[in-house]
Amino acid sequence: MKNRRISIALAGNANVGKSVLFNALTGMHQHIGNWPGKTVEKAEGTFFFAGYTVDVIDLPGIYSLSTYSIEEEISRRYIALEKPDVVVNVVDATALERNLFFTIQLLELNTPMVVALNQIDAAEKKGIKIDAKKLSKILGVPVVPTVATKGTGLAELVSAVIGVASGGEQRRLKPKYSKNIEVLLKKLERALSSSCVNYPKRWMAIKLLEGDENITREADRNVAHEAALCRTELHKLYGKPPSLVISSERYDIVSRIVKDVMKETAYKPTLVYYLEEITTHKIMGYVVMIAVLLIMFFTIFSFGDFVSHQLDALFEGNKALVEALFGENILSELVFSAVEGFVAGITVALPYIVPFYVMLSLMEDSGYLSRIAFLMDSLMHRIGLHGKAIIPLILGYGCNVPACLGCRIMERVREKTISAFLTTLVPCAARTVIILGLVGAFVGLQWALALYLFNLLVIFTLGKILDSIIPGEPVGLIIEMHSFRKPSITVALKMAWFRVREFIYIAFPLIIATSVFVKMMELTGALSALSTLMTPITVDWLGLPAATAVILVFGVLRKELALVLLAALVGTTDFGAVLSPLQMVVLTLVLMFYIPCIATIAALVRELGWWKALAITVFEIIFAVLLGGIAARLLAATVF
Amino acid sequence: MQDISPEIEEYLETLYRFEEKGKKARTGEIAAILHVAPASVSEMLRKLSAMGLIHYEPYKEVVLTKKGKEIGASIVRKHRVIERVLRLLGLRRHVAHEEACRLEHATSAKVEKAFVSALSSPARPELLGKNILRLTELREGEVGRIAFIMAGKHATQRLTDMGLTPGTKVKILHILPMGGALGLEARGCKLAVGRGVASKIFVEAIR
Repeated sequence: MKNRRISIALAGNANVGKSVLFNALTGMHQHIGNWPGKTVEKAEGTFFFAGYTVDVIDLPGIYSLSTYSIEEEISRRYIALEKPDVVVNVVDATALERNLFFTIQLLELNTPMVVALNQIDAAEKKGIKIDAKKLSKILGVPVVPTVATKGTGLAELVSAVIGVASGGEQRRLKPKYSKNIEVLLKKLERALSSSCVNYPKRWMAIKLLEGDENITREADRNVAHEAALCRTELHKLYGKPPSLVISSERYDIVSRIVKDVMKETAYKPTLVYYLEEITTHKIMGYVVMIAVLLIMFFTIFSFGDFVSHQLDALFEGNKALVEALFGENILSELVFSAVEGFVAGITVALPYIVPFYVMLSLMEDSGYLSRIAFLMDSLMHRIGLHGKAIIPLILGYGCNVPACLGCRIMERVREKTISAFLTTLVPCAARTVIILGLVGAFVGLQWALALYLFNLLVIFTLGKILDSIIPGEPVGLIIEMHSFRKPSITVALKMAWFRVREFIYIAFPLIIATSVFVKMMELTGALSALSTLMTPITVDWLGLPAATAVILVFGVLRKELALVLLAALVGTTDFGAVLSPLQMVVLTLVLMFYIPCIATIAALVRELGWWKALAITVFEIIFAVLLGGIAARLLAATVF
Repeated sequence: MQDISPEIEEYLETLYRFEEKGKKARTGEIAAILHVAPASVSEMLRKLSAMGLIHYEPYKEVVLTKKGKEIGASIVRKHRVIERVLRLLGLRRHVAHEEACRLEHATSAKVEKAFVSALSSPARPELLGKNILRLTELREGEVGRIAFIMAGKHATQRLTDMGLTPGTKVKILHILPMGGALGLEARGCKLAVGRGVASKIFVEAIR
């Protein structure tokens, strides 16, 4: 038999077990990267079956092919333009109706298809019985029951895929709308017939009638005009927006299918049912949430702390090694600073980032993350975000880097930008060291506490301001709380590994380059020149000793070293002898709001792009310095 | 029964809107919305209290009595119906809103009913004479059928994608305190929807 290569794409709602299926199919033959120019993950892999080489692409989990999020746009472009041989629509058997809504849209895209009816075991436990044969007959595509977590039905699924790829035309269901709509669709299809389009004409007509912005932009001017007329007609006819009319009818089609193929019987509430009740309860829900978050927080940071120290010990003595290799000269100093930057990246950032990613993935997969979002929505709403944003904000208290990267769980760019920005203002562990070690120890704990409270106030205020100035419609929380299930450790570890690798690519070059740069400044004496240069800011505006300029510069690199550095600069660890209480408060205040560190900037670049990362960095520097100066004057006039 | 002047109606409407959103009404905020001095707000609130339309003590939050709530609700309903009619006639949103503010006081129940039937026909005869509430007005455990959604474009899109289309049965599973989100069940799925979005979904209560 000739070896043939086919390409398939996995498409479906979020949390239906798509990535588990992807993993089960491809094993280690996979690569996770990003869609070109996007911060959306792209998982590709290959497997071999019965003489076929099958390339798999795991499309992002989405609910529709509209343009609500970047993920939806990416998916529909991929299916329509890259034309994979077969699209495998992964359907959650426990939520058939909502999942088939997406299936209908895939059918409209007119692509060869196989449906994987996943989690059929969980559905049976919930008393749901689905007639896969009947469903297959109605949809006109193979429907294969699977349990991806156990590998059940995968061979049948792949056989069906190969059958579709090598077979002739599929007689797929062509979803029909009511007469009024069909008339308008025909009209638009006719209008489209003269223009050259990439998408199937009927699908394009539907999208034009729905008023899809991107598709309307891609269409010819006269077609777009015709579409606008059709939409007005439809709006008049039904008294509601065309997109709503079409979605409703699509759901009507789905409801009829579901009625035909699905039977629900009563079932005994399971443990999962009670867990779901408790975790969303108006009182117990919060108790559980606080416990879970605390456990997560302490696990991540005690693990991180432990590993960080172990690694530190491991890398000790590399200075001697560098000197042995290069001799004691400037070169060895520079090489050593590069090595030190690299080691810092490994020992400081990675031990916290890896467990964070694993936990985040587990929480997302199990379904608990959506419950937290549900519980925290009203608080987050006050700063223009919705419930999900609590995760990165809380994590920020540990380390801003994973927190920033965690902002990708926000669906829309607007929300992602606001949450990433606010996250960088949260005092991380390193800044906590400064707050407690300087202000807490020498000025008083009540002052340290006041700084924390002030920090919260600033975060809320800036959140509110951002919410009102960033254009776009703030969309409230609308998410699925899918049934709890056991998350896959393998998938979580794999995702963590790929995300960490991606972080290393971005952050490490920056960390190393900055380390070498700062070392060079130190060696050439530029650092002391800088202190003099910065006196208008440090001495005149902030009222601090000139030497603190060095801390501000080094602070960009590693905040937790700021205190050590300060001790070296002033020649004592008794900061009370060299700095007045006012100076300590001001210095801490500046360090608290000042850009977190180079690794965080790298994370911002990763999530928001260079332009926004730069804007946030510049803003925070100016903001911190301005605030510090104002505080110095206000506090001098009142308290100190 | 005392005569309810348009001014009183305007106050009750404002107070009702506050309660609807679950916010506390304070004199300052009421004054800002109605463009009057805080002093005259206090005076009016005392008058309303004397008429048995609100419970009011200085420096405490204002709560509508049952009678006050009925009048407030009817004015708000009239306002919304009129605004929809005007919007359909092609008036811009803020113009429709301002006109509705005036017309609501001069609209009898008869006219309101006529408006509603005109609105419903031919597009939505199913809504005629039905008790339409906001989703947020249902209690835990209650079920409603979605009548229409009046949210922004993206929110509406997202809601319908998640299965919340007109005609869909929705069960309220949880309502979180302090303006928190709602836990819903629709089409066999559990959903979390923020209070703001949920208040833009209008349902017919199924008791």
